[in-house]
Amino acid sequence: MKDRQFWIVLGSLFVVFLIYWYLGHHMFNVNRVVMFISIVVIGATLLYNIRMAERGEEFYLRPIPGLKAVEEAVGRSTEMGKPVLYVPGIMDMDQVETVAGVIVLGHVAKMTARYETSLNVPVSRSIVMKAARETCRESYMLEGRPDMFHDDVVHYLTDDQFAYAAGVNGIMVREKPAACLYMGKFYAESLILAETGNSIGAIQIAGTASQAQIPFFVTACDYTLIGEEFFAASAYLSQKPELIGGVRGQDMVKVGVITIIILTTLFRFLYEKWGIGFDVVKLLTVQ
Amino acid sequence: MIWKRQIPILIVAVVGAITLFGWFIDQPDIKSFVDDDATQWYDILASFAIILGALNLIKIQFQKVAKKKKGWPYSLFAIGGFFFAITAGFFIKSLDNTVVWGAHVTTEGTLSKWIFDYMFTPLSATMFSLLAFFVASASYRAFRIRNFEATLLLVAGIIIMVGRVPIGSMISSWFIMYISVLAFGIGVNSWKKDKMITFGVVGIGIVIVTIAGFLTGWPIDQPGIFYLPILQEWIYFYPNVAGARAIMIGIGLGIFATSIRYILGIEKSYIGE
Amino acid sequence: MNRLTEFLLKIGKVDRRWIFIVLAVVVFIPIIKPIGMPIRATVTTKVVYDTIENLPPNSNVLVSIEYSPSTKPENHPMAISILRHLFKNDHKVFVTCLWPDGQFMAQDALKQVAEEEYGKIYGEDYVLLGFRPGGEAVIKGIVSNIRKLYTVDVNQTKIDEIPMMEGIYKFSDFAFLFTASAGFPGTVEWVQYASDPTGVPMSSGVTSIQVNEVMPYVQAGQMKGLLAGMPGAAEYEALIGQKGSATSGMDAQSIAHLVIVLFIILGNAAFFIERQRSRKY
Repeated sequence: MKDRQFWIVLGSLFVVFLIYWYLGHHMFNVNRVVMFISIVVIGATLLYNIRMAERGEEFYLRPIPGLKAVEEAVGRSTEMGKPVLYVPGIMDMDQVETVAGVIVLGHVAKMTARYETSLNVPVSRSIVMKAARETCRESYMLEGRPDMFHDDVVHYLTDDQFAYAAGVNGIMVREKPAACLYMGKFYAESLILAETGNSIGAIQIAGTASQAQIPFFVTACDYTLIGEEFFAASAYLSQKPELIGGVRGQDMVKVGVITIIILTTLFRFLYEKWGIGFDVVKLLTVQ
Repeated sequence: MIWKRQIPILIVAVVGAITLFGWFIDQPDIKSFVDDDATQWYDILASFAIILGALNLIKIQFQKVAKKKKGWPYSLFAIGGFFFAITAGFFIKSLDNTVVWGAHVTTEGTLSKWIFDYMFTPLSATMFSLLAFFVASASYRAFRIRNFEATLLLVAGIIIMVGRVPIGSMISSWFIMYISVLAFGIGVNSWKKDKMITFGVVGIGIVIVTIAGFLTGWPIDQPGIFYLPILQEWIYFYPNVAGARAIMIGIGLGIFATSIRYILGIEKSYIGE
Repeated sequence: MNRLTEFLLKIGKVDRRWIFIVLAVVVFIPIIKPIGMPIRATVTTKVVYDTIENLPPNSNVLVSIEYSPSTKPENHPMAISILRHLFKNDHKVFVTCLWPDGQFMAQDALKQVAEEEYGKIYGEDYVLLGFRPGGEAVIKGIVSNIRKLYTVDVNQTKIDEIPMMEGIYKFSDFAFLFTASAGFPGTVEWVQYASDPTGVPMSSGVTSIQVNEVMPYVQAGQMKGLLAGMPGAAEYEALIGQKGSATSGMDAQSIAHLVIVLFIILGNAAFFIERQRSRKY
């Protein structure tokens, strides 16, 4: 969207909202207005940075070793003549992490197409299977190797958590992939997968926002993308300006959140100790 | 082409916007959509989509058997198990046929319940129990004192592991104090590299701890700072929660930013673009 | 000294299968010959106990079971102990399940505690509403209108025909929620969509892995205490005065933890020796 069009649309939305508000904001849950303003401010920050990036502004992103290692891992598999195993998590496409995992799969599929390495993607959900197939098919086509892709590259195992872990372990032990990538939402099966991958000598790169599983991946894998690094993976691998702008916007929002935490602590201290100011916690509590 | 590109992006944008902003609207139909219908539509789609996955699974296993690929006898188990479970769920209720359809899955005496109790439960428990062994081998491999942070991780890990279990409450805080004095002595030795100073520090430390013990009567859980269960509770409540909160906030922001990119159509890779 | 050094170096390179065997042996022995170590209840477990103990008489309590056979050793003793406590104090217990496997677990627990131990009457003292698909949508449905979500119970009996369902229309009609959870959907979703918005107090029992994730909610006061893994279950058994499988498992867990710590120490000793040697040469 061009700048002029963008500002027209944004301005129009703002005017419409102002009119709605002054006409009595019918049906609007006023208790949640702080959350609404937060969403609008965060969204605006992200959009601002995305547009700046699209206009050609260069943003610095710190290097993430795990993402640099993805291409090395695929290269290693090519040299050894072994497949790349990609596990997009055990949850369905309603989880943001799974969608992020499928997006990273697209980039990995481009690399495997380029290097002519075989790719194996066992999945735990049928909808993920369809989405992952489309992503891989597109990637192979973009690399000019549609002949290398067939539907069974992405195949369904089972919905059950531990049955899936058993199935993936079996694939690892039989096929001995040289690289194992775990990108998505994981639960208790994470350590089972990572330890088995370690035992076959594969290079392992994990990325997840599942807080409880991050320590297990950090312990057992060669590289781990922790939390937001995993969500930023798509920006890193594609180097698309709009995605990099989004990552920068995220960091700006984080600075804002840190500032609010410090100010809230100060205001709360003043209010509870000496009654100065107002109850900031009540203002920020989501109803 | 419009069906594969523009329509999916439009659906994501419209449904995403309604679900996001619908939370602020006090209108029963929108609330019902946001709270119930949206998720239930997804569940209905996912339930029917299972057929796709099941067909793919059976197709691959049949191909393995038909082409006698490596390991094809195991595929017979997969196919057999698949049809056995379908039979138990859809065709056989119970021997006396008194159980209602639907309730037959969990009622005692039915084939479904038998599969759950004698096949699924032991297999699930076995897979989960692998974690115990893998945690041991992963800890053994990963917990090395390479630098200050790794040492801190190791010490915190040991305190939590021992303090969480009953044996931790049987270890006196005075024992931990003596260990601390020795560890401090090792630190002094690395710094000063003088045996006399090290011996002096350790000796004085041991004497102080011993005198304090005699004066207080060696209570097992005092001083609390050296009692493992209290120490592990403190680690859980403060440093652990601080780190967990920080990661949660970061992950929450990451999820929000990623979702906004999907809703606004900036990120289109999930449809293969 | 040389022999000790060589031995430690060997330990540093030991095949992980030896670690598995040693661990299996040290876990097996205390199960066969229990040691009987004393269990000391932590603050978080005591808060759960006190919350249930201080519930008004004849309270309506919602118990949600979301774990599968894989985490049964951790979560099932919690569910059993909580049910024992609730039935001992004569509260009305309503059981739901967010996981399909949870329904099997709930049936086992209710059969053991409600039927066999306390002789409670189904439909008057307890009811099993069963599993409904949908994850968070089920929680939101329970919060807004439980009867729209549950038209029949697990035995296909109409909800309107169950005596104890009288007056129960939504989540805020319950006095307390306890959830035995092993993942998603579970404790976090109950806090976010049910307990925190409505103010109904809740506690939870989770697997040890999840404690890290859930502790911020406990510390913020959004949850009343927490049963943390099998140690938490054993502590609760000690508090209610009825020992169960969690207590018997604690001896094995204690010894296993000590053995893991020992391996870590030996591994580090080997690491130091190797590092010194490589510096020397």
